[in-house]
Amino acid sequence: MRRLIFAVLMATVPAVALSAEDIQTNPPASATEAEGLEAWSRIYEVTSHSRCSNCHTGPSDRPMWSGPSYGAEPRRHGMNIRAGESRIGAETLPCSTCHGAQNGEVPHSPPDNASGWMLAPVEAHWFGQSSRTICEQLRDPARNGGRTLNEVAQHLGHDLILRWAWAPGPGREPAPYSLQEHVDDLLIWGVAGAPCPQQ
Amino acid sequence: MGRIAKIARRTFLLGSVAVIGGVAFGYWKYKQPYGNPLDDRLTDGEASLTPYVKVASDGITIITPRAEMGQGVHTTLAAMVAEELDVELNAVKIEHGPASYAYYNEAVLEEAVPFLPTDHGMVAETMRGFTKVPAKFLALQITGGSSTTPDGFVKMRKAGAAARTVLVQAAAQKLGVSESNLKTENGHVIAPDGTKVAYTELATLAASIEPPADPDLQPQSEWRLLGKSQPRVDMVSKVTGTAPFGVDTQLDDMLYATVRVNPYLGAGVRSYDASETLGMRGVKKVVEVTNGLAVIATNTWYAMEGAKALEVEWKPAPYPLTTDEHFAQVAASFTDERQDSQNRNEGDVEPLLAGGNVTEIEYRAPYLAHATMEPMNATAWLRDGKLDIWAGNQNPTLARQFASNVTGIPAEEIEIHTPYLGGGFGRRGEMDYVQLAVEVAKGMEGTPVKTTWSREEDQCHGFYRPISIGRIKAVMEDGAPKAIDIQLAAPGAIIDAFSRQGLPAAGPDGSIPMAAWDQPYTFPNYRVTAYKVPTMLPVTFWRSVGGSQNAFFQESALDELAHAAGVDPIEMRLKSLTHGPSRKVIEAVVEMSNWGSAMPVGHGRGMAFCLAFGVPTAEVIEVANTEDGIKVTKAFAAVDVGVALDPGNIEAQVMGGLNYGLSAAILSQITLDNGEVEQTNFHNYDAMRMYQAPSIEVKILENAEKIRGIGEPGTPPAAPALANAIFAATGTRLREMPFSNFVDFA
Amino acid sequence: MRLNVNGQTHEVDVQEDMPLLWVLRDELNYTGPKFGCGIAMCGACTVHIDGVATRSCTLQVGDVDGEVTTIEGLGTPDVQHIVQQAWVEHQVAQCGYCQPGQIMQASSLLDANPEPTDDDIDVAMSGNLCRCATYPRIRAAIHTAAAKMKEA
Repeated sequence: MRRLIFAVLMATVPAVALSAEDIQTNPPASATEAEGLEAWSRIYEVTSHSRCSNCHTGPSDRPMWSGPSYGAEPRRHGMNIRAGESRIGAETLPCSTCHGAQNGEVPHSPPDNASGWMLAPVEAHWFGQSSRTICEQLRDPARNGGRTLNEVAQHLGHDLILRWAWAPGPGREPAPYSLQEHVDDLLIWGVAGAPCPQQ
Repeated sequence: MGRIAKIARRTFLLGSVAVIGGVAFGYWKYKQPYGNPLDDRLTDGEASLTPYVKVASDGITIITPRAEMGQGVHTTLAAMVAEELDVELNAVKIEHGPASYAYYNEAVLEEAVPFLPTDHGMVAETMRGFTKVPAKFLALQITGGSSTTPDGFVKMRKAGAAARTVLVQAAAQKLGVSESNLKTENGHVIAPDGTKVAYTELATLAASIEPPADPDLQPQSEWRLLGKSQPRVDMVSKVTGTAPFGVDTQLDDMLYATVRVNPYLGAGVRSYDASETLGMRGVKKVVEVTNGLAVIATNTWYAMEGAKALEVEWKPAPYPLTTDEHFAQVAASFTDERQDSQNRNEGDVEPLLAGGNVTEIEYRAPYLAHATMEPMNATAWLRDGKLDIWAGNQNPTLARQFASNVTGIPAEEIEIHTPYLGGGFGRRGEMDYVQLAVEVAKGMEGTPVKTTWSREEDQCHGFYRPISIGRIKAVMEDGAPKAIDIQLAAPGAIIDAFSRQGLPAAGPDGSIPMAAWDQPYTFPNYRVTAYKVPTMLPVTFWRSVGGSQNAFFQESALDELAHAAGVDPIEMRLKSLTHGPSRKVIEAVVEMSNWGSAMPVGHGRGMAFCLAFGVPTAEVIEVANTEDGIKVTKAFAAVDVGVALDPGNIEAQVMGGLNYGLSAAILSQITLDNGEVEQTNFHNYDAMRMYQAPSIEVKILENAEKIRGIGEPGTPPAAPALANAIFAATGTRLREMPFSNFVDFA
Repeated sequence: MRLNVNGQTHEVDVQEDMPLLWVLRDELNYTGPKFGCGIAMCGACTVHIDGVATRSCTLQVGDVDGEVTTIEGLGTPDVQHIVQQAWVEHQVAQCGYCQPGQIMQASSLLDANPEPTDDDIDVAMSGNLCRCATYPRIRAAIHTAAAKMKEA
């Protein structure tokens, strides 16, 4: 039964809700290590931003909340939300119970899950992690979904969930830069040999 | 044809001209009662009695004229009547009935006199008796103050007994059998030969018989229904979605509205532009209402969308703009000029406080919203000089008065329908939402309009639990307080509410020292002084009123003093308590919680006691300090209600009241940002949820002198018991609510 | 626009971004689902879409892609669902306003997980607020309903 629910949930996620502007994934011909590190620092700004890190909570199955009305520090998603092993709450309370196909218009209403909303895999642990830790995770095929960095960039361009970070609905600060700039930075970083900072 | 007209056709009142086969019975103890509220609806004839019982050809109806807001009063009040009438609860209909002064609450002011609730001497009781006179004069059909049960306990049973008496007399006439040979059983009179006559068949005949003014009541030992847990009469409808709440009112050709009121409470509109709104789908009209605007549409959501699109310039806030300034105003109120009352001053605290070794502690409590699950709403239909209002409310006679003020229609001619309340907690004793709905209806005359507030409007336009500060000084001797001096400063909830309601609002405000000055402790030097802070945000009654903060102040302080002196906090309290029922509730939680037994590291237990609304209540809370923060694991409560009419319901109320107190203590505060309330919805005004709810064990005792209501007494001890438990578990002492501002909770 | 509610097909003419809740309540007169917060924070509006609990106050009617069941469709006073029977047995409701949502959430939980532990209940039911704090009895009623479903 649990598996069935999971399947139903996945099947009912509407295909496209966010604007599907084309993301170009053209790596530069070359990039120095310094350029790579500079690109990484921007990537880290994105990955550590609440719009991204709040759902990359690693071994914890609890998404996080942050924003001006939640106090200075991010805090656990209210209502005792647990994503479970399924990472979409299929065991108890599916994300789709509240997260529908659209970003709510009323402030603090749930953001959409049009793009297959779920908690990131355990190994993609970004919340509260250092720049170096996230960097090493992202370049490690064992922990990035078995992808080359070019594939990571391709994945970002195609995966609609990521577009949400730059269109998060009213009252939420979008992730910095733009998705295209983020993809460009990933490509620069990759061509530069994926250098990671000391900390 | 309307329901009332139908009742009028088939029902008539005792002592009045018969219509088609019905009769209403009632009991009234005063010589000149208010008119029978059902009279006008039935015939032009005079009626001599107040009806709580109607018997019509198609069945028996019991009138339970108090708001059913979750506390189970419809069931308990109906059981009082049914007990004496000799009917089963599931064999009668139960209705709230109309607004009427006849249904005034005579018990609600009883504890307003400056006598200790434990004082049952002649003077105190006489003074309490006198409160029935102003209570009748004010004629408030109010539900609040945990007073429904004591108010109804005698009069509702007498109403049932009087009705049964005349039904038996009618049967005696009809059957030609002596009354003394007749028995009753579940809505029937039974003759010695076994002949059964239904009450419904006897109604016409019974109508011609004068009911006894003061019928005898069944002794407690004979009770069939009272004293036993009854299935709630509203349960099946509430679990099947068929129970009518105010917000569920549906009328033919109805329109739907919402309001947008100045976020600076109490200030008005400077200018507005509704042109965008008026062009939106479904929007019919924009109406000016008190301090704001209303949008009327074909669907509530269209109205809410329209309200968002209104461009409004608001007048500025008439109060300080930040929470810090509000607290500063409270802190500045401990002055002679602002001293409001000093109901207790035993011994002489001054010389002791002037000596050494004085402990001095300050506690704080924030503004709180009631946050009923059902947002404020009311439906009003004004046409041809007539006005009907459907509103879940705690005071229908007051609702009528507010509606009269708006429309000029005499209050007595306005019909108030009171469906179920999706929570009240004091909020629905304020009539602003009725007033706004009537203003909307006035702007749409001829059409019924349901006005529903958004949660944001509801949160930001409350009448809040007063912000307050308690300062406690104490001197200890031999492990017990020798002197306790309690100073309490808060805006006055009673005066503030009464002044809005056109009621006498003079004299000291009893809400400020409530559940502090009147505690049964026997400290030899004991003084409680209340200081009234000028009103800033509007304030009102909030479940347990002054008890919700004062118990936290006093019971935390006693715990602190005990720990500092190295004595057990319960033993210390018992040394200063002679009131038997109070001692027994504390002894009960000691036993239930196995107080004093060892707990794992990081776990802790805290106890608090409070005598509020006449009910001595003791609670023990257990917490565990986990990786994720403090978790409330268990709670134990013992209450003494004098006579327990429905143990199952009392248990539910104590659990709910305790959790309501924990919820506020852990999570809730209303704060201001540049004059606007910051907590706009449940994302930042959260309340206790399933994962935070402890298991609760409740013990009900019956040693106290009087029967008492239990809607509120469970709340006051919860916050201090939790604070004391957290101290025991972690060593952290919390002196300000909400606690989540200072420690993490799991 | 067509909407299937409790086995009946309705034709509705509303803006597509109207939340399902307001279509049910103000257009179709299903008043069992309640308005509480409008932002999926309290659960009073909970209905089933193809059997799965969903907050109707934020779900736009244009995005509804299955059969809607409201509390009125789960059971009636005369023929109550097992979960409703358990609620009566434990005398759960106080003010009762949140209970249609609680019951729809609980029945969805039991459908997915016929023997929920206390922890499962804590996760699944914490999106449903009850200001009367009837939680201890809700928990007991869910366990009772689970046991009865197992027997049935």
